Amino acid sequence: MRKKEKRFPDWTKTVVGLCLGLIGFMIPLFVHFDGLSFAGHLTLGIFLVAASFWMLEPIPIYATSMLVIFLQIVLLSTQGPLFQDSSLPEFQLEAAAQEQVWQVPDSAVDGNQLWLRKGARSSEAIQIEVVESEAGFTFVRSGELSEGTAIVSDVNHKLVGYTPASYTLFLGTLASPIIILFLGGFMLAAAAVKYNLDKNLTNVLLKPFGQKPMFIILGLMLVTAVLSAFMSNTATTAMMMTVAIPIALQIDTKDKFRIILALSIPIAANLGGMATPIGTPPNAIVISALNQQGIQLAFGTWMLIATPLVIVMLLAAWGLMRFFYPPTVTSFKLQLDSAFEKSPKAIIMYAVFALTVLLWVTEAQHGIPSGMVAFLPIMALTVSSVLEKEDIRKLPWEVLWLVAGGISLGLSMENTGLAVWLVSSISWDVLPQIMLLLVFGFVALMLSNFLSNTVTATLLIPLAVSMGTSGIAGEGFSLVISAVLIGMACNMAMLLPISTPPNAIAMSTGYIKTADMVKIGGIIGIIGLFVALAYAVLFWPAVLL
Amino acid sequence: MSTIYILCVEDEPEVLDVVVRDLAALEDVFPIEMAVSAEEARQIIKEIEENGDKIGLAICDHVMPGDKGVELMIEMQNEPFTERTRKVLLTGQAGLDATIEAVNHARLNRYIAKPWDPENLMKVAIDELTTYVIEAEKNLLPFMSSLDARRLQEAIRARGSISDY
Repeated sequence: MRKKEKRFPDWTKTVVGLCLGLIGFMIPLFVHFDGLSFAGHLTLGIFLVAASFWMLEPIPIYATSMLVIFLQIVLLSTQGPLFQDSSLPEFQLEAAAQEQVWQVPDSAVDGNQLWLRKGARSSEAIQIEVVESEAGFTFVRSGELSEGTAIVSDVNHKLVGYTPASYTLFLGTLASPIIILFLGGFMLAAAAVKYNLDKNLTNVLLKPFGQKPMFIILGLMLVTAVLSAFMSNTATTAMMMTVAIPIALQIDTKDKFRIILALSIPIAANLGGMATPIGTPPNAIVISALNQQGIQLAFGTWMLIATPLVIVMLLAAWGLMRFFYPPTVTSFKLQLDSAFEKSPKAIIMYAVFALTVLLWVTEAQHGIPSGMVAFLPIMALTVSSVLEKEDIRKLPWEVLWLVAGGISLGLSMENTGLAVWLVSSISWDVLPQIMLLLVFGFVALMLSNFLSNTVTATLLIPLAVSMGTSGIAGEGFSLVISAVLIGMACNMAMLLPISTPPNAIAMSTGYIKTADMVKIGGIIGIIGLFVALAYAVLFWPAVLL
Repeated sequence: MSTIYILCVEDEPEVLDVVVRDLAALEDVFPIEMAVSAEEARQIIKEIEENGDKIGLAICDHVMPGDKGVELMIEMQNEPFTERTRKVLLTGQAGLDATIEAVNHARLNRYIAKPWDPENLMKVAIDELTTYVIEAEKNLLPFMSSLDARRLQEAIRARGSISDY
C-alpha cells in the first residue's frame, strides 16, 4: 500500500484565512477612524473579512459573497437590529446670539462641520466657523442656519453620515439588470452547448484558415475569442481543447508546436472574455459600478471599446508565440465535420441566439437596455423547452451570487463613505491621470494573477470610481475610462496556471510547463496593460463622448 | 484528494508481473495493487476502503485456485464501494457460462483474451479509467495528462462544472 505523502496540512490556509477574516472584521469595531462614519466602520469590517476570505479562500468565493450580503442586511439595513429603531438626536437652534452666530452643543460640532437634521434618519453636512466655545456650548457662524433649524446634537451618532438602506437593496442585487444580463448569457451558452452549436460553429469558422499550422493557430485563437465573448471562457477552452488535442497527438512530443497549441487557446479565451459585457464576470462589476453613478454603458459601446483591444492583443500573442516557439511541423490532419442539429428546438435556439445578439449589439440604435433584452432568451429558451429543468439547475448560479455579493459590497462602500475614505488618505492629484491609471491597472493585473479576476475587480473598482466622484483624483478624471481599464487589467492576468480557469485547463494537458505560461502570459499582461492604456487615452474618449 | 488504485488479480506471479509492467506508465497517477487470489484481493479492497481511497479499475483473471475471478467481480459489483469500479476480465480459459455470468451479474466492462497485446491492454485501461473518473470524480484536471484528454475536456464542457471566476 502506498504511503500517504506528508504534505503541508490543508487546513493551515483555512485557519489562517478564517483568523485573518475574523481579526479584520473586529478591527473597525474596536478602533475608531477619524472621518469615517459608524456605518463606514461596519462596512470596513465587512470589506476586510470579505477581502481575507476572497484572497485565502478558507471558504469558496461565492460563499463569501453570500456572507457579505448576510452581514450587510444584518448590520447595515434599516430593518437590521442596529438601525431599526434609531433616529438622529435633535437640537433646535434658538435665536441668534449675534448676526449669523448660533449657540449649539459641543457634541454637535465636528471640526468645522455641523450636520443638518433632514429627517429621523437622514442628515447633511454643512461647513461652519467656530467662534468660541464655553461651558458645553459652542458658538458657530454660518449663513445657512436660521432660528428653529434642526441640527444633529451628537456627531458621533451612528446615523450621522449614513442613511440606512432597506435590506431589499442588498437582496435586490441578485436581480439587478447586469445579473439578468449574465443569466441571459448563461442560458444562451447552455443551450448552445446542449445542441452542439459551439462545436459546429467552430468547425465551420476554422475551415477558411487552411492547412498551414500557424494559420490554423490564428484561426483557433480567433474562434476561441469570438465564442468566449458570449460563452464562459472556461467552457470555450474545454471545447477548443477537444479540437486541439487530436492535433497535438499527431505531432512529435518535442515539437514546440504543441506548446503553441496548448497556450493559444487559454490566452485567446481570456482575451475574448473582454470583448462583450457578458464575456466574463469582472465586466459585470465594472458595468454595475458605473450604473450606480448613473452612467449607462451600452452593449455595443462596450464592444466598440473592447474589440479593437482584443484583436490587437490576439495578434500580439500569436506573434509572440511564433517568435518564442518556432514550430517545425508543416502539416497535420484536421478533422472539421460540422453537423448542425436541425430539430425544431435546435432551430428555435439558433433564432433566439441570433436575435438576442443582434438586439444586444444594436442597443444604441433601439435604446432597449441589454438587461431587458436578456430576458428574451430567458423566456424563449424555457417557454420552448429548449432548456429543461435539469439544464436550468446546471447553470453556474454561484457565479451570479459571486457577482451579486461584489455589487452589494460596492453599494455599501459607496453610500457609507468608506470608498472615499480609503482613497482620500493619499493625495492622488499629484500624479498625472495617466500615471494614476497605470498604477491602478498594474495593481489590478498583479492581484488578479493570484486572485479571482472577479474578486480583484470587486475590491478595486469601487475605489477607482470613488476617486473620480470625490474629486480626489483631480479634474477631468473619467469614471468610465478608469473603471473599464481596471476591468481590462483584471482580465489580462494570465501569468500562472492559477490565474484563470482556462489557464488551469491548458496546464493540465501536460503539453506546457509553468515557465512557458509565465513567459508568454507575463509579457501579454504587461503589453496588454500598456496597449489598453494607449487605447484609453487616445481612442476611448472618441467613442465615449 | 484520495488515491485511485488499479487492482490486478492473477494467480501466476509471472503473468501478474507482465500485466503490471504493461501498465507501468499509469502507475504515477494510479498506483497498482497486486493480488494472487480472490482472497488476497478482498483483503486489499478492504484496506483501500479503510484508507479512504478508491479503486478505479480491476483487471482480473478467471481461473484461479479458490474463488474464481468472475465470482470476485460479482461480489465487487454488489458492494457499494466497488460498484463503480471498471471491471476487466483478462483470461484465456473462461468458458461461455462464466463469461455470460460476468456480463450479466458483474456488469463486466471488457473482456481481454490471453495472450494480450500490451498496447491494447494499455488502451483499454486508459479508456476504462477515463470513464471511471468522468463518472466518479469532480475535478478532472489531475487526470488530463495520463488519460484520454479529449474525452475529459468534452466532459468538462458538457458538465459546465468549472465556471469563470
